[in-house]
Amino acid sequence: MTTTTETASDCKIVTFTLGKQTFGIDMGALIEIREWDEPTPLPNVPTFIKGVTNLRGNVIPVVGLAERLGWEPSAIHARSCVLVVSIAGKQAGFLVDEVNDIVAINRSEIQPAPEVETIEASVIDGLVRITTRAKDGTRDENGTMVLLLDLEALSLTRHLDLAA
Amino acid sequence: MSDELDEIQAIFFEECTEGLTTAEQGLSAMQAGDVSAETIAGVFRAVHSIKGGAGAFGHADLTAFAHKFENVLDEVRAGKIAPTPGVVKVMLSSFDVLSDHVETAKGLAPRPNDAAALAALEKVLADKGAADESGAAPAPAPAPVIEAAPAPAVAEDEFGFTPVAFSLDDFDAPAAPAADAASWTIRFKPSRAALANASEPMLLIRELETLGATIESVDVSDVPPLRDLDPEDAYFTWVLSMPGDVPRNDIDDCFDFVAPDSLIEITRNEVEAPAPAFIPVPVIEATAPEAALEDLIPFVPVMATIEDLTAQVQQVVADLAATPMTPTPAPAPVESAAPKPASEASQTIRVDLAKLDLLLNLVGELVIRNSILADRLSPADRQRVELPELARLTRQIQDNVMSLRAQPIKQAFSRVPRMLRDLSAETGKQIELETVGETTEVDKGVIEKIGDPLTHMIRNAADHGLESTEERLAAGKSPVGTIKLSAEQKGARIFVRVQDNGRGINRERVKAKAIEKGIISPDAVLSNEEIDQLICAPGFSTAETISNISGRGVGMDVVRSNVEALGGRVEIHSVPGEGTTFTMILPLTLAILDGMIVRLASQRFVLPLAHVLETVQPEPGQVKRTSPDTEVIDMRGEYVPVKRATEIFGLNDDRLVEDSLVVIVESEHGKVGLVVDTIDDRREVVIKSLDQNLHPIRGLGGATILGDGSIALILDIEALVASTSRYTPKGLAA
Repeated sequence: MTTTTETASDCKIVTFTLGKQTFGIDMGALIEIREWDEPTPLPNVPTFIKGVTNLRGNVIPVVGLAERLGWEPSAIHARSCVLVVSIAGKQAGFLVDEVNDIVAINRSEIQPAPEVETIEASVIDGLVRITTRAKDGTRDENGTMVLLLDLEALSLTRHLDLAA
Repeated sequence: MSDELDEIQAIFFEECTEGLTTAEQGLSAMQAGDVSAETIAGVFRAVHSIKGGAGAFGHADLTAFAHKFENVLDEVRAGKIAPTPGVVKVMLSSFDVLSDHVETAKGLAPRPNDAAALAALEKVLADKGAADESGAAPAPAPAPVIEAAPAPAVAEDEFGFTPVAFSLDDFDAPAAPAADAASWTIRFKPSRAALANASEPMLLIRELETLGATIESVDVSDVPPLRDLDPEDAYFTWVLSMPGDVPRNDIDDCFDFVAPDSLIEITRNEVEAPAPAFIPVPVIEATAPEAALEDLIPFVPVMATIEDLTAQVQQVVADLAATPMTPTPAPAPVESAAPKPASEASQTIRVDLAKLDLLLNLVGELVIRNSILADRLSPADRQRVELPELARLTRQIQDNVMSLRAQPIKQAFSRVPRMLRDLSAETGKQIELETVGETTEVDKGVIEKIGDPLTHMIRNAADHGLESTEERLAAGKSPVGTIKLSAEQKGARIFVRVQDNGRGINRERVKAKAIEKGIISPDAVLSNEEIDQLICAPGFSTAETISNISGRGVGMDVVRSNVEALGGRVEIHSVPGEGTTFTMILPLTLAILDGMIVRLASQRFVLPLAHVLETVQPEPGQVKRTSPDTEVIDMRGEYVPVKRATEIFGLNDDRLVEDSLVVIVESEHGKVGLVVDTIDDRREVVIKSLDQNLHPIRGLGGATILGDGSIALILDIEALVASTSRYTPKGLAA
């Protein structure tokens, strides 16, 4: 459990699940959470870009985050959500399986992600353990590992070459 | 306070930029042989305004240089220096130095070395002296040429000679009667809003003083009590006397820029003693607002304590100091900053671009709402007069807002002459610039974004395209290379061409270089066009050594990516030995499109109507295969190639061509038939770029939001048509 006093090293993250994994993104980047709505498909783009949708007059891409991260594509179900985030001034929607919670973490608790051999730079910023509330309100004292995503690394414009 | 000054200074710099543009256009016209009085006066006015503003903001170097430049221009304007090509050349290089000075004043560049330019200007002035002596009109007083330079129209100088010393007869009016006994009395009451209108009365009085005027009296009776005093209003009335030998015209000229509601009375007294209309007060040296205020205080019936009053005065003085036109301590007489001569009828207003864009967005939404409304109404209601009327009005508003953003492409072209002069000096090549179609109007957004690509293209043409003088002579060409810059509108596209008559693209070398750089494989078989396109590949540069001008291997790559980001394309056409033409094909506007809503594999797309020629429902057998991958449609005997967008986009579509429609579109590559499922509608759509949140996608010109809030993708016809016939080399398709 993190301290409740707000200090400079505190930050809030939004946790969500993709398959069996729990991920987190910085709350500051989140614009809104929307229900899944089939986007307009785009031609000639990587399959993880599901298409574009209308966010109050803005055309924003919707990304299958699971596929983007190399997991099995998410199946659409009743709790499927789109997290609309702002990355370097650009807006994008990420399809996730379920949004869990907003939790405060202390930056000092973030552990580096293990080095993985992938073609691109790691999109995992670090790992952090959080205690989660179970459905009955009791605490799971073992906690859950949250993979913190590096949104900058997920920026879609990095894939200009792939997309063309 | 300083923020406010900065803001005003920013306006000054904006005006500088405009002034420089005007001056350059005028000078270019003079270079091309147009030496009409109007052109010369235009250049003079522009330089003069820059000088005036520069003085007000204390940019001494800029002021000094502009002043010298202005002197020459003034002499040219007065017909005392003939605008020979040599003189125009000096003026052009002086213009360049002036531009540099403006940059310096902005704090963007170190102070330019203007010694050479100043010397050249001096020489022109001195030569004029010689010409004058040989002239028919003998100057009655052998005054030094430069001191006599201030011309009648705008007599200003910074040489600090006293008014009394300046008693020469005017050059333009040698017949003016030298009536020593007579004098002028000038009564001047500036408009209340004079300061707000940037016509600082004090500067005008200084100007009169340089003509020899002295202040007889100042009427302060209109000054209100201090509490009611607006420090930015003008309240004084001046009475000045002017020696009688000053021509009336010169006095009138001083009042050229004065607001029309000012009171100006100029009377000629045959008796020497001027008759002051008011109680004479000691001559107020209105050099600083503080001084004026101190004189003013005794007249003010205030009940406040001295401390109170002092505090108020301090406040007022502070306010005055904050007003834009507070003169600087430097003895730089500044004329009113009114940049427009009274004769010019067209009036302009400066608008924040963001406001214009907001208006454009709102009009865009209005268009959408209009469409929705039309959808909601019953067919009978749709026919009523109100709806078509509303649609027509909406369209007119839209057209007008669009035209507000349209600017002549001249703005983008204007920096080219300067650039070429520099390039010519650096490379030692003789370059002649030819511009065509610079009045073509393009959306401001497009103009802003083609600056960089244009710069690269021009540099490329001057550095790589054109040969050295020796090479040209050896090849039997004229020693002067020509770069032709042209713009024209074709349909909804703007074509901007940079054409040189140089050596053309050395395809062997380009190919070798591309192989060396690993851009293409050694065994690649490429057509000439494909080789030419390699120039735009990232990291490509054929220059043997990296020159100062181009050759860093980023230029043409940048051109292509910039142009494509605008939804345009770059085409290269080269003939060895004859030259190369780079063409930027750009969209006319970035905002609104007249489109046809079509379906491809049931998904809605927008097809820009500007491209559509006709639509046919093919008869069985009308569409024929010419190879496993290519088809043509028989259009009344003409075979038009057919493209299936569904294939290009990888959409599943097993619809028979007979059940589809073929839309014949006009493209850069001629007529092409596009196979679509159906046509839903025709409407105007607001273009939302995909790269705002994603990146450009080949084949798509953007997206739009339809009346029901859903998204339809906009087809880029040119890219679709080109998608299979061009851009074949891998790696170029990025």
